[in-house]
Amino acid sequence: MAGPDLDPEQLDRYSRHIIMDDVGPEGQAALLDASVLVVGAGGLGSPVLQYLAAAGVGTIGVADHDVVERSNLQRQVVHGDSDVGRPKVESAAEFVRELNPDATVEVHETAVSPETVADLVDGYDFVVDASDNFPTRFLLNDYCTLAGVPFSHGAIYRFEGQVTTFTGEGPCYRCLFPEAPPEGAVPDCATTGVLGVLPGTIGTIQATETVKYFVDVGESLDGRMVVYDAAEMSFEEVTVRPNPDCRICGDDPIDSVADVEYSESCAVRAD
Amino acid sequence: MHWRLFATLAETAGDTEVEVDVDAGATVGDAFDALLETYPALEDEVLDEDGDLYEHVRLLHEGRDPFSEEDGFETVLEDGDELALFPPVSGG
Repeated sequence: MAGPDLDPEQLDRYSRHIIMDDVGPEGQAALLDASVLVVGAGGLGSPVLQYLAAAGVGTIGVADHDVVERSNLQRQVVHGDSDVGRPKVESAAEFVRELNPDATVEVHETAVSPETVADLVDGYDFVVDASDNFPTRFLLNDYCTLAGVPFSHGAIYRFEGQVTTFTGEGPCYRCLFPEAPPEGAVPDCATTGVLGVLPGTIGTIQATETVKYFVDVGESLDGRMVVYDAAEMSFEEVTVRPNPDCRICGDDPIDSVADVEYSESCAVRAD
Repeated sequence: MHWRLFATLAETAGDTEVEVDVDAGATVGDAFDALLETYPALEDEVLDEDGDLYEHVRLLHEGRDPFSEEDGFETVLEDGDELALFPPVSGG
């Protein structure tokens, strides 16, 4: 195979990757060729963006429709005090560009909806779900699974995090949770609070999984969900098996996300 | 029998790890009933109006879904088996 085309600055910048047998110049070139969409530039998205940018992921899309609030800064580490009031995608993009000029940032200041999801996701090699609500999570699962786009799932609650990877080879998120909880049953960070460093741990695992996917090394979390408890400092591993009755990845899948109402339970309509 | 509870369910119970007393030869259903007997407040969070486990709550027996891979609530437990009950979380 022809040697990857890394310039002298890149050979220097990525030297600690390049000298690793399991990454090497080929692995680094794969990262530089990669395009990743990060949905959510918040608590999870921040470390994801930081490490993907540092690792040299060549194209990084960032989708978010919120502006930075001061209460975000306790955990959303790509934004600074002077960014309060700015769109999150702007300060996140600035952070990435400052960290690594190799990364081309694509800014999507929009909510992910059934209408926008195809335009957002299509063209990316991998998606990181760093969003903060069930409708977006179910929509991303359904769209990515049906379209065959691998993605990382990470979610947090107070001291606990759930993280896994769906490559399309194994189960999907709905195999584990067919429907979302009723509204308010599992409250969000704004309601319950969240330990600021928690998304750092979970987001960093998501970034790890993303980098491993492109370098093609190790074992992915496909088929396993890690449940992390920062208070107990424990990592549990839950096996996730494909559900043949799953309406997204099972034997009789739906045709498109148009068959799902992405509000409240996010239930798939019966045939 | 040993239960592990996560997120909102652990908060409702006030415990992440729970031991329940069940007889030898007990089933997942027996251990589940014993759990709800110990923590009646959990019932509203895990059972729908028909008394079925909510679609969004996952029950695992030794890391497996007893409903798709074993005999559901009839699955017979062995000494030292671990059961887990958890909801999805959405924060980011």
